[in-house]
Amino acid sequence: MSVLHISEVTKTFSGGTHAVNSFSLDIADGELVCLLGPSGSGKSTLLRMVGGFEQPTSGRITIDGEDVTHLPPERRPTGMVFQSHALWTHMNVFKNLAFGLKLRRMPAAEIKEKVEAVLELVGLAGYGDRMTTQLSGGQQQRVALARSLVLEPKILLLDEPFASLDQHLRERLREEVRDIQQRLGITTLFVTHGQDEALSMADRIVVMANGKTEQIGRPDVVYRDPKTPFVAGFIGTMNLIEGEVQNGQFVRSDFTFALPIIDGPATLAIRPEALELTVSDTPKAQVHRVTDYGSHGLVDLDLADGTRLKSMVAHPDLFRAGQGVDLLPKAVAAYRDNQQIFRSGM
Amino acid sequence: MSEFVERSVSAPAETAASRRPIGLLLVALPVFLVIWLVIWPAINAISRTIWRTDTDGNSSFDLSSYAFFFSDRYSLDNLAVTLWTTLICAVLLLVICLPIALYLRFAHGRLPAYVQALAILPMFVPSIILAFAFIRVLGPNGMVDILLNAVGLPKIRTPYLTPWGPVIGLVWDNIPLTVLILLSGLGSVANQSIEAARDVGANAFRVFWHIILPRISNSILVALSFSVLGIFSSFTLPYLLGPASPEMLGPFMQRTLRDLQDPIGAMTQAVVAFGFCILFGLFYVRSVARSRGK
Repeated sequence: MSVLHISEVTKTFSGGTHAVNSFSLDIADGELVCLLGPSGSGKSTLLRMVGGFEQPTSGRITIDGEDVTHLPPERRPTGMVFQSHALWTHMNVFKNLAFGLKLRRMPAAEIKEKVEAVLELVGLAGYGDRMTTQLSGGQQQRVALARSLVLEPKILLLDEPFASLDQHLRERLREEVRDIQQRLGITTLFVTHGQDEALSMADRIVVMANGKTEQIGRPDVVYRDPKTPFVAGFIGTMNLIEGEVQNGQFVRSDFTFALPIIDGPATLAIRPEALELTVSDTPKAQVHRVTDYGSHGLVDLDLADGTRLKSMVAHPDLFRAGQGVDLLPKAVAAYRDNQQIFRSGM
Repeated sequence: MSEFVERSVSAPAETAASRRPIGLLLVALPVFLVIWLVIWPAINAISRTIWRTDTDGNSSFDLSSYAFFFSDRYSLDNLAVTLWTTLICAVLLLVICLPIALYLRFAHGRLPAYVQALAILPMFVPSIILAFAFIRVLGPNGMVDILLNAVGLPKIRTPYLTPWGPVIGLVWDNIPLTVLILLSGLGSVANQSIEAARDVGANAFRVFWHIILPRISNSILVALSFSVLGIFSSFTLPYLLGPASPEMLGPFMQRTLRDLQDPIGAMTQAVVAFGFCILFGLFYVRSVARSRGK
């Protein structure tokens, strides 16, 4: 049973910049939570505070009820996997993994047994004698993960561990890491700025911006029901259209949409897959470009005032550049003053 | 058209060819100076000390000057004090410079910048100025003595004209180079590899011993080699601050040549010093090659 509790944590750097601002989060035993946000959103600083590499300016961090806020990293029951692997290149794979166990004065036979078991777990059995510089990027990242896992930490911290890997390897490794995490049932906090990673791995996603939580929820919920325009724009692809509501109609250029809210400015959010197109003699938009991805197509559209929208279509061959089309949104959300004020079909 | 293409294709080759003599000319001057001022005098000194001409003008193979050097108590004492000074300086430089370099590498803020400026300062102070500053501060009736006297304390036993005089001067003189080399070595130790060590439970000492030290062993070797080579053959500071007897090889050579007017004896001492420096150099090359091989 390993529960992480982050309460009202703030980190202010010299100059008064709030990297993390009054952040709270509870992570249940065995849960994998992704901190997702753009660069500078404070997600890595928060992870480093949990790991003990940064001290919070205020707030409290507990693991299984024990206050670890002011403990140094070496005394915390956490294990961190770094973005750059951070392997010790003067040691071979076995020594990299055994180092932490030796510091705990474990008998040599037990160290050997544990290291071999964890190498087996990450698919690197028999690699103990290799120098880390002889390994590929993916293998190095597995060693970094194994180095953390071999110490059986209560909380596993992953700081953009796949950022330096190519797309194919990244996809493979995230599946492997998720499998290992579920098999071991280890409570995990994962930092990424890749929404695919967050959506495919996490039990819950915490979307962060400017050191604050924008939204916390299951990946499907965050994707389907973004509570702020920032989340709507950050998770997946989203058409965000700024406009005015007049007499129950959202208006932007020639595009109108029935929106039963009080008159005033609003932002309309429509996913490309929820924006259907029909070829029309009284077009609301003009096709700019059609991209065929094989399984589906992506149509770039321009409203009369030049606003660019995207629509995902099943048959891209039906559309061509310069064509006039009508827009039929099937699911929308509307935002005003940074709050969701209307949602339909999402 | 074809002429134009031909000309465009051949242009880079022509440029490279025209650059070659300039490159060779740039290299030629330092190579010539090294041959003229280092290699030729070394060969000349070795040959003149082992291939001697007697009073009748007959040349023969003769190691008597070396036999004298290695049997003469005074020469051996001078060699011993030179080796002792070099060793003590190397140890002190490591003990003083490594903590400074570690501090400069890992500390943040404005203070480390001032510390670095102070550590580098001796590089811009000529040895002769340093020697006189040393005498005025630590010498008999120097500033320290005056201050001690002012508060009613007895005078210090001054290191001036003792073997510790050159040690203090040479250490001070070599601090900048040693700190800079160690600092550049520490620059290759990534913060994340240190954080990873702390994450698995290493305290500050273990991080230093198991992670930092193995990564900078080459830099330590380079720093010590440079310092040792410089200290072993140093002249100004041992001449101005050291004792008259025994004396380091630098002043010993000068005195043998000027006062005793014994050029063969001075050259023999120079060849012995050169031999030791080559030994240090070989040790350095071997260690670097071995660590590269790993």
